[in-house]
Amino acid sequence: MPIIEVNNVRKSFDKLGVLSDISFTVEKGEVVCLIGPSGSGKSTMLRCINLLEDIDEGQIVVLGQDINKIKDINAYRKQVGMVFQQFNLFANMNVIENCILAQVKVLKKDRKSAEETAMEQLKKVGMGDFVYAYPSTLSGGQKQRVAIARALCMNPEILLFDEPTSALDPEMVGEVLSVIKDLANEDMTMIVVTHEMGFAKDVADKVIFMDDGLIVEEGKPEQIFNNPKNERTRQFLSRIL
Amino acid sequence: MSFQKCFEIILKYYPSFLLGIRTTLIVALSGTLIGLIIGLFVGGIRAIKLDKTASGLNKTLKAIIDAILKVYIEVFRGTPMMVQAVFIYYLVYTNIVHWNKMVAAIFVISINTGAYMAEIVRSGIQAVDPGQNEAARSLGMSSMQTMMNIVLPQAIKNAFPAIGNELIVNIKDSSVLMIISITELMFQSNSIAGTTYRFTETYFVTAMIYLSLTTISSIILNAIEKKLNHTRTSLPQSDTNAHSMTIAQKGADYADN
Repeated sequence: MPIIEVNNVRKSFDKLGVLSDISFTVEKGEVVCLIGPSGSGKSTMLRCINLLEDIDEGQIVVLGQDINKIKDINAYRKQVGMVFQQFNLFANMNVIENCILAQVKVLKKDRKSAEETAMEQLKKVGMGDFVYAYPSTLSGGQKQRVAIARALCMNPEILLFDEPTSALDPEMVGEVLSVIKDLANEDMTMIVVTHEMGFAKDVADKVIFMDDGLIVEEGKPEQIFNNPKNERTRQFLSRIL
Repeated sequence: MSFQKCFEIILKYYPSFLLGIRTTLIVALSGTLIGLIIGLFVGGIRAIKLDKTASGLNKTLKAIIDAILKVYIEVFRGTPMMVQAVFIYYLVYTNIVHWNKMVAAIFVISINTGAYMAEIVRSGIQAVDPGQNEAARSLGMSSMQTMMNIVLPQAIKNAFPAIGNELIVNIKDSSVLMIISITELMFQSNSIAGTTYRFTETYFVTAMIYLSLTTISSIILNAIEKKLNHTRTSLPQSDTNAHSMTIAQKGADYADN
């Protein structure tokens, strides 16, 4: 059974249609990359899965529950981690407090074990030396790695990445993608909205190409990148690759 | 006006001036602090947005509380503190309890400041990046937890200059509380001027005292503000830890492919 099932989802902001009839599934342990031009609805789709946006029609089933009928949003959200384009580290806290806060407040862990988990995850993303640094003193790549560690501290079932490298300079893109790739190798279920085609080709189990609120084409990365069926996909990829 | 006379007045009446300064500072400081606490509650509550899944009862309750708070802010920002002071003092004095004038003065200045602080806090909250809120919520934190742990601390920092400004305003504007005859600086000055018949000299001294109090407060507030901003100013560091280097290296290999 798929871990995420999106069925005929529609959404519009006022009169502007953003998602028109989107359906796809994600299996456990799968890495799905959402690609497509800006304004195609990729980020909105991702935000709907984390209930940061509401859908107008259709159904999103995650971990066996229809998420738009959930009463306790917070209990749901702790199972689904999210990493943002702008990192969104808590500016009033240092790196380790960023990772501890939600563990204590949401998972009700005691401080000591929360601290251990935080250290473990920070080391994993290579930020073990920066636990007392404030976000404003870190580079973009470092911030994003902390943001990933913060999400991992909640031990989520699913991780959502909303253009995790789009705000980074080219040299820092690699360090963040390599952390995400490590997670893929550990069979974390992930949906990644990205413009990094090399990464998508390399890591994704499935690539979904969206344009204008529709899924134009989906399939294995080899097929999408080497042998796209749709004219629009070909056109998009020829400009990017 | 003669400076000679000014010095004579200071020398002769300094105990009265000192009492005035003391009362003014007590009223202004406690008024600003209590006002800030009121402002945090009122501004915080007004800034909370309920989830779409919140029950109808909670939504109605929130709407009613919001309306009451809005009326509170409008009334206390829209009427002079002098009028509030006499009205509230006599209202309570004649109908409820013969209360102490100092208590009345601190009460009035606190709720008056609270109304301004509520708006200051609210603007501070609005200046916090919405991404902070989204990140906290995406980790499963409730809107209340997010407000208390993430948004308010940053909002206070954003709003600190405006909060400090309220202290300065209160040091000066507490002078209107002489209307309920507490022994603050303006009230004391009136007595001294009435005794000496040296109005110009007495009020010149008074003005200088107010100016010194506000200047010293500004210096202290600036020092605190500098301290608050201290941790955010260092430059990016490079990560040279061995494990981090491997991650960066893997990243570089990766980018080459």
